[in-house]
Amino acid sequence: MKTTTPVLLTVVLVAVVAFATDTPESTEFDNIAAQAGLVHTFPNGGTNSKKYIIETTGSGAAFIDYNNDGRPDIFLLSGDGGSNRLYRNEGTGHFTDITRETGLASDGWNQGVCAGDFDNDGFTDVLVTSWGGLTLYRNISGKRFENVTKQARLEQNRVRYNTGCAFFDYDNDGRLDLFVANYVKFDFATTPKPGENPYCWYRNLPVNCGPRGLPFDRNILYHNNGDGTFSDVSDVSGVSKPDQSYCLSVLTGDFNQDGRTDVFVACDQTPSLLYINRGDGTFSEEAVLRGVAFDENGKAMSGMGVTSADFDGDGKPDIFRTNFSDERETLYRNRGAAEFDDVTLTAGLAHNTRYVGWGCGFFDFDNDGWKDLLLVNGHAFPEVDRLKIDIHYKDRAILYRNNGNGGFTDISQKAGPGVVERHASRGAAFGDYDNDGSIEVVVNNQNETPSLLKAAHKPVGNWIILKLEGVRSNRSAIGARVRLTAGGRTQIDEVRSGGSYLSQNDFRLHFGLGRATRIERVEIEWPSGQRQLERGIGVNRVITIREAEGPIK
Amino acid sequence: MLGIRLHRRFWLLVLPVCAAAFAQDPVAKGIEEFHQGKYEPAKATLEQALKQKPGDAHARTFLALARAATGGCAAATRDLADIFAQSKDGDLRRLSGLALVQCHLTQNRYDLALPVALELEGQFPADADVLYEAAKLHMKAWNDVVFQMYQRTPASYRVNQVSAEIFEVQGRFAEAAAEYRKAIGKNPTALNLHFRLGRALLMQSHTPEILDGARQEFEAELKLNPGDAVAEYEIGQILLAKNKPQEAAARFDRALALSPDFGEALLAVAKMRAETKRYDEAIPLLERAVRLQPQNEVAHYNLMLAYRNAGRAADALHEKAEIGKLQRPPDGEFTEFLKKLGEKAPAQ
Repeated sequence: MKTTTPVLLTVVLVAVVAFATDTPESTEFDNIAAQAGLVHTFPNGGTNSKKYIIETTGSGAAFIDYNNDGRPDIFLLSGDGGSNRLYRNEGTGHFTDITRETGLASDGWNQGVCAGDFDNDGFTDVLVTSWGGLTLYRNISGKRFENVTKQARLEQNRVRYNTGCAFFDYDNDGRLDLFVANYVKFDFATTPKPGENPYCWYRNLPVNCGPRGLPFDRNILYHNNGDGTFSDVSDVSGVSKPDQSYCLSVLTGDFNQDGRTDVFVACDQTPSLLYINRGDGTFSEEAVLRGVAFDENGKAMSGMGVTSADFDGDGKPDIFRTNFSDERETLYRNRGAAEFDDVTLTAGLAHNTRYVGWGCGFFDFDNDGWKDLLLVNGHAFPEVDRLKIDIHYKDRAILYRNNGNGGFTDISQKAGPGVVERHASRGAAFGDYDNDGSIEVVVNNQNETPSLLKAAHKPVGNWIILKLEGVRSNRSAIGARVRLTAGGRTQIDEVRSGGSYLSQNDFRLHFGLGRATRIERVEIEWPSGQRQLERGIGVNRVITIREAEGPIK
Repeated sequence: MLGIRLHRRFWLLVLPVCAAAFAQDPVAKGIEEFHQGKYEPAKATLEQALKQKPGDAHARTFLALARAATGGCAAATRDLADIFAQSKDGDLRRLSGLALVQCHLTQNRYDLALPVALELEGQFPADADVLYEAAKLHMKAWNDVVFQMYQRTPASYRVNQVSAEIFEVQGRFAEAAAEYRKAIGKNPTALNLHFRLGRALLMQSHTPEILDGARQEFEAELKLNPGDAVAEYEIGQILLAKNKPQEAAARFDRALALSPDFGEALLAVAKMRAETKRYDEAIPLLERAVRLQPQNEVAHYNLMLAYRNAGRAADALHEKAEIGKLQRPPDGEFTEFLKKLGEKAPAQ
């Protein structure tokens, strides 16, 4: 018998879906980074070629309201040769670089960022992961940051390639614990050079080696002791057990909806991991059986970024993961109880296979009540440009509109210059920095200035932004789950640390409400177990809800 | 001859002997010279040694190897053949066999080289040198025949077909498609050309136009051969890609009806059933796929999910274990190399 087409079997099936769905309104995004004051270049390895894998993984981006003024600030990480930078949101559409005065200047190969008020003092602290170690910055009264890594016992006893991270309260004790993913064991001295072994080639081009062929490392879980220190509980919790995956981005969430936060980790060229929280301080890794380790054919993808939302409105959190070129992105639909089906093809997300995807996020850009999806791209190997093919080192983003019927429409080409301009993008963070009900996206581009994507026109739909504040629960309310009902529709979301690609979104939850002018119910399930119901909340505003108290402003 | 490696075990045995006896033993000296790549001196030393010890198997083997290495295949072939056929020493058999294959190849005697290569593969199935020589033999034989085809029948559709296949291997799918089209122009009713053209088109790109073009070719193939299950299957995949699952399902069903043991069609039909939650229908199909292709990870994975979704947790766990086994890297030289890389502690 003759053989079938390998490409069709293993690489892609082009979903030629509804090309020309009418858009109800303009969906153009501009890149306003320069006028907003994001003018610095963030170095990250070679621009024409990259000798080592450390140059490829890039760095994250964050929206963090460090001074509690209600306006998310921007924090961007840098590779070697530059510094991480914190930009204060002045509330005028302009951001000011305050890196030096806040004590956040850095060097080295910074990778990921996640935020959380680990000491429950009311100010958001920041963790930066790097090749080399971790840096925990304690927020001092919203004025500056203090490096408390050593005091917190987060110093590592060897060089580690730390990547994604997330604060979360896995034991629901009101204190934020910390998950840190690790990529490979890497050092400059022993890593083979481009072309030196079969894993140092891409399409007949010698390229940097890895991750295949490089030693695996293990993920880390730190328990918050409540006295400003953390303890490494990776082994006793079972987090360090998987040792055959190259891990990048971390996504926390209560995927089986049992009140305990689970952890999904997107892994490169190896099975992704899903740690199910057993509720006794331990996790069991169950990604294969639960259907999120592989694609629909049981093949490991090159997982990069990850995000979650209830894209189909069935009340269960689904998972989306970005992958490498010649692979599909992957959308996993939660069947309930954290068992997932790969619905990439039927959801219309299978045709963009020439991109290497990184940062990603579900966000309702048109406020119609359905979470849309943006992912930013850029190839791992600059050398690919020598091939003069349709895969590029710098590439455009992809914007999918959620059709509200389980499917998406790719509207990238008419989504404005902010989406179609090409960059070697990595981290991407989502947040409404000007509190106008429309989400902006800050993107960390390798060896370029960042992008700040802002909708050119305000969406017509109504909206609400909820800022949650824990009392018995951790102050950042990370892990709090919200069910919001408006106009007869119920939406869910969860406060998260980390996510996207090595990035941190604004903690506040944004819901598009369409034509609904009143929110019937907001049900909050706090990590403490407390359930709270708020009614009759108005729309088009930002409100803060404190645990057990209700709206406070 | 350069590049043939001796087994490490062999040197562990031979070298101490050589070291001890080197001063007096010309056999050991000759072997050492051979090992150092000094083939001419080795030849002279071993010829001398054989005069002193006419029955010495090592001397005879390495003399034949040295002769072969210096272009003396004619003088070496008989000895190499004898040693390969008769020696009880695996290392000597391996070395003589490898040299014998190379000698036959220099004379384009594929008929003589092939049996030796096959026997070597049987005896040393994971030996990189043996596999390399076998690959070289097959490639050289293929090249020679293709060259003859180009010389003797340059205008035939087969020349276009083989050109297309070469382009495919090189990843030059547009050129491959052009050659297939030429072949079809010359012989429109030849089986398989439309299919290969459709496949080359799909390898090239997946734009809507390409998908339509490829489908046309598969349909053309089906007109020539209505029993072509693979062409049916490919059309099903295209329809699936075009988000026409019901039409795709009909094509997959037909492919499976045409060829009940067609594993990929079994999988496709099963997946369509599972998609619509008809697990009771999907599971037998997947079980059959697994029986037909026990090494097929896709089948095991989909069976695992189908069991899971049908609430058969124990069966799902069994399939998960099977997947784990299948995805374990094979033991072999390259895997060992990677393991070593993994063990190398980075300097910290």
